[in-house]
Amino acid sequence: MTLFDANTWIGRWPFAFLPAHDARSLVEHLHRHGIRRALVSPLDAVFAPEPGPANRALLRATRGIAALVPVPVINLALANWREELAACAADPRVIAVRVLPNYHNYRLTSRVADELVGELQRRRRRLIVQVRLVDERHEYFALRIKGVPTKAMGTFLARHPQLPVLAMGMYRPEIRELLPRHPRLLADLSLAEWERTVADLLARVSPRQLVFGSHTPFLITAAEVAKLTAAGVPARVATRIATGNLQRFLGE
Amino acid sequence: MCIIDVHTHPVCFREGRSRAAVDALVARGRALGIERMVALGDVLAFSRSQTAAQVALINDETALLLRWHPDYFVGFCYLNPTLGERAVGREVARAVGRGFRGLKLEIANNARAACMRPVMAAAEVHGLVVLQHAWSMTKIKQRAFHTDPEDVATLARRFPNVRIIMAHLTGCGVRGVLAAKSCENLWVDTSGAAPETGLMEYAVEKLGAGRVLYGSDLPVRDLPVAIARVTGSALDAATQRKILRDNARALLQLP
Repeated sequence: MTLFDANTWIGRWPFAFLPAHDARSLVEHLHRHGIRRALVSPLDAVFAPEPGPANRALLRATRGIAALVPVPVINLALANWREELAACAADPRVIAVRVLPNYHNYRLTSRVADELVGELQRRRRRLIVQVRLVDERHEYFALRIKGVPTKAMGTFLARHPQLPVLAMGMYRPEIRELLPRHPRLLADLSLAEWERTVADLLARVSPRQLVFGSHTPFLITAAEVAKLTAAGVPARVATRIATGNLQRFLGE
Repeated sequence: MCIIDVHTHPVCFREGRSRAAVDALVARGRALGIERMVALGDVLAFSRSQTAAQVALINDETALLLRWHPDYFVGFCYLNPTLGERAVGREVARAVGRGFRGLKLEIANNARAACMRPVMAAAEVHGLVVLQHAWSMTKIKQRAFHTDPEDVATLARRFPNVRIIMAHLTGCGVRGVLAAKSCENLWVDTSGAAPETGLMEYAVEKLGAGRVLYGSDLPVRDLPVAIARVTGSALDAATQRKILRDNARALLQLP
């Protein structure tokens, strides 16, 4: 099965013993697990005062590496977000941008999020919302960062019913609640789990709305690959989740 | 691949009780290389602190699994220590008579609580392994009844002759591994939360390959994902084999 991974990162994460991948080591790692292409964002953009330097480094590091599709991070709490978006979108490889509302101190229901939607539509770029990066129970003790609330996601999606949105890091109950109500919403599988995860989700959710995401390096890549490759769902459905839905989301 | 899963809930929130569901689970487990499953019971079926009748029902269901598939399931007896010494003694006696090999403690009380004394005494007398629910309480403010890895370590030090499994390596994290390190009668199972990179290797480095046991927490977790936490780690094949089977086989004295 060919895998197109919606959810990978390069850089260093200070709160766990994770490998700090650069672009080349990430590609090698993913290839060892049968992942041929991946969307990749810079971890350094999560806690930096502003994501510009990390985005620039990401675009440099992925140049000439066809297997990696760079996904810069946009911080809507900062006055320069439009400039940052414009700078990133000047690179034709940038098809989507990622936002982390709860790491960057704004709400998805705020006016600025609506303004971002307008900018992205004008520039024909896609929106990826990082609902969470890690299980909140395991956050560093001094941090208090909860996932993007399901209610806020619902409100935002209801305001933009035609907007395709890819949500990363949602839990199983959140996927089961939101995706049936919002047919343009897609979700990666990384933090959703139950026995027979994929089949369990498909009982409630259209197969067109799930995408494979390993959340490398946070999670054990082989385990996330097994979630799909050992799912026991029909090959046609597995292929959609493995590659097709993400390609469609990106307009390929 | 031969696997013993030390942490499963074949019946969970009242689901999975039918013979057909259990047969299907056994078939799926065998297809994935799981040769035995430790059945811990539907431990949160009614509340976090079950009545004596509810405890008995939960254990009756585990006993039924053993009757249906005696060569597959290993029974652990769920207990609510807050019910007191007599209730605990009665339930342990039933469990021993049924061939259960361990005791399961959930979130009725913290593992440091005085009500654990008769539980641990019974475990020692009958040679039962204790599997204690544990999770880092740093972010969960429920330590009055929830058990932190430090509490399991305290329990292990208080009862050095009882073999204890601390559940949920990922939930306990690095701090939990370090808490467990000095307690030779304490093992940790690999279940809990999403499969975080690096923890398996860290646990083996600090505890040694002999004190880590494969556990899935089925059905809360997906079996192929749980197995790949071990097989997808950087650990060598011999260490993986110990975690997946050999350690549990020795601890539970399985053939």
